[in-house]
Amino acid sequence: MAASFLFSQFVGGLTTAMFLFLIASGLSLVFGVMRVINFAHGSFYMLGAYLAWQMVQWLHPSGETFWPAALFAAASVALLGAIIERVLLRFLYGREELYQLLFTYALVLILGDAAKYVWGTGQLSVSRPPILGGSIMLFGATVPLYNLFVMALGLAIAVGGWRMLSGTGAGRMVRAASYDREMLDALGANVGAIYTGMFAVSSFLAGLSGALVTPIVGIVPGMDVEIIVQAFIVVVIGGLGSFWGTFWGSLIYGQVLSFGILIFPGFSLFSVFALMAVILVVRPWGLLGRPIR
Amino acid sequence: MPLRRLLALACAVAMVPSFAMAKDTIKIGFPIPLSGPTSVYGVPILKGAQMAVAEINAKGGVLGQDLEILPRDSKANADEAVRLARELIIKDGAQFLIGTLTSAEAPAVSTISKENKIVFLAPAAKTTQLTSPQNIHPYVFRVASNTAIEGQSGAIIVSKWQIKKIATIAPDYAYGRDVIAAFAAHLKQLRPDIEIVDQQWPKLGEPDLTPFITAQMSKQPDAVYCALFAGDFLTLVKQGTPLGYFKAISNRLADGGEVGAVDVTQPLGADFPYGIWADAYDPVIWPGKEPAEHKAFIERLKAFMKSDVGSGWAAQGYSSILALVAGIQKAGSTDSDKVAAAMAGLTYDTPLGKRTFDPKTHDADAGEFWGVMVKDAAYPYAIIGSPTYYNPAPMTN
Repeated sequence: MAASFLFSQFVGGLTTAMFLFLIASGLSLVFGVMRVINFAHGSFYMLGAYLAWQMVQWLHPSGETFWPAALFAAASVALLGAIIERVLLRFLYGREELYQLLFTYALVLILGDAAKYVWGTGQLSVSRPPILGGSIMLFGATVPLYNLFVMALGLAIAVGGWRMLSGTGAGRMVRAASYDREMLDALGANVGAIYTGMFAVSSFLAGLSGALVTPIVGIVPGMDVEIIVQAFIVVVIGGLGSFWGTFWGSLIYGQVLSFGILIFPGFSLFSVFALMAVILVVRPWGLLGRPIR
Repeated sequence: MPLRRLLALACAVAMVPSFAMAKDTIKIGFPIPLSGPTSVYGVPILKGAQMAVAEINAKGGVLGQDLEILPRDSKANADEAVRLARELIIKDGAQFLIGTLTSAEAPAVSTISKENKIVFLAPAAKTTQLTSPQNIHPYVFRVASNTAIEGQSGAIIVSKWQIKKIATIAPDYAYGRDVIAAFAAHLKQLRPDIEIVDQQWPKLGEPDLTPFITAQMSKQPDAVYCALFAGDFLTLVKQGTPLGYFKAISNRLADGGEVGAVDVTQPLGADFPYGIWADAYDPVIWPGKEPAEHKAFIERLKAFMKSDVGSGWAAQGYSSILALVAGIQKAGSTDSDKVAAAMAGLTYDTPLGKRTFDPKTHDADAGEFWGVMVKDAAYPYAIIGSPTYYNPAPMTN
């Protein structure tokens, strides 16, 4: 087996991993801080993709319209997330998790149908931005520039996010809110604003990853459900609520999938599900997670 | 007026139209993927059928009754298709079934059609298992081509290439497995010197084909026979092109999954890998001698779909309705047994010419139009350069 082939499989796994990290990090963040399992996270991802496509159509299908379109999509989804949190979700915080689950699942159905209504059921496609349209040869393997960009972005967000959470005042508030909401409230911090802010950031990440994935994957109804399953596997492996857990979970998922098809050619997804099953049996709170109190 | 009274009045008014439509119609259950990656084929098939029904009803219907289509979203899932088929027959009173897209759904719905003695036409599913001697029964009919015809057509095309090594990539289910088997067997007969160096089997609807693409490229084939279709083909192009997949084989790729249809070429636009061989039931854009009825059909289709692109798949839905209506008219009744008996061996009209159901296998003698995908200044998407009809007559056995 040629080294260049192994390297290209590795790069493919890294790209998958970074996309998953972008989306799973938002999911993990919302759970860690707000103890909400947001099924609609996949729907935000899907909306980010559709809105990016729409913006590209309005601006101009060719040329460097991809970047403003992606930012517009991410920002719009962030705004939508903030509104949903403020107006609907916050009434469910004190209640049982079941209500939150049902609510976010209802959102999945509503947003899914809304997307079908607006953009139809066919498959939409966005071209790669011309500035990143090429590829480079690395260790004998062809590596598309766009994939390198996504990997770099994922890494930047991982490092940047960690610095913010551990280093800044706002980050400390967020971590405090995840440990003990009532105490933070009693100390006078505006927990409601922190929650809305976190949900908006999480939705921004979901929308951004949806927008950025459009040059690589077709936009199609059902992509919301497909991605949320993958994102859940990642956070299960890495640990719900753990930032670096999500990062490592994504990396592991990407490589297991990539090399899994060499060992089990017919059972490509089996390897990832098998891994998740093993983790659930051996260490149910994930590699870097904490046992849920 | 108090709100409650107003609501009651509104409900009464809303009920009136449903009383007016109490006239009996011939109900045709239509389970087909209307969402997901395969809906890019499913939706236009339904539209083609709806157009046929609208035209026939305008001319007075069949045996004095109007046709009515009951569309349902099967999501390309065999279990869902079966559940919908049962519901359509038992709850909604469907007298006939047309639909399913994939070769997973069709054989499953065929068992329902056999159980309930309901005539079922498959406009798209190609697996030969649907009409094999073990599975054939009086009520199932196939308007689509089949994997034997497609595999052999593909082998004939590939056999003319100057190559030594070929790879295959196909979705891992009945259609993919059967068509590659047919292709490989026929290629061996025509060109025993060509070696199959790699075979990849991603699952249907796989969103990440990158590991399969790189694995295939590492075996360095000279050419590829591809059975990925609809959304999977879009994914292959989007992910394969930046990895140099098409460049490595100089676009020597043949795909029998109707990716030459405008339903696939239009979303891809300029990203389409020009130079590959592809097929479609209906080329829509027909450089050369286009039959007048086809031109007229496309004009009506564009108006009906409110699109200036049309569809390469609508003809299959349209033809299914024409075939069923021909069967009902020949039988002189909507009774399933009489219609089934009438349809065996029946010749019916389609926008692409006449087709006949084989009296034993109930397969239509449906070939497809193949050609090299080229750029044309008049269109912002790829078209089949010189659509050539690959006649299945010498290939079916």
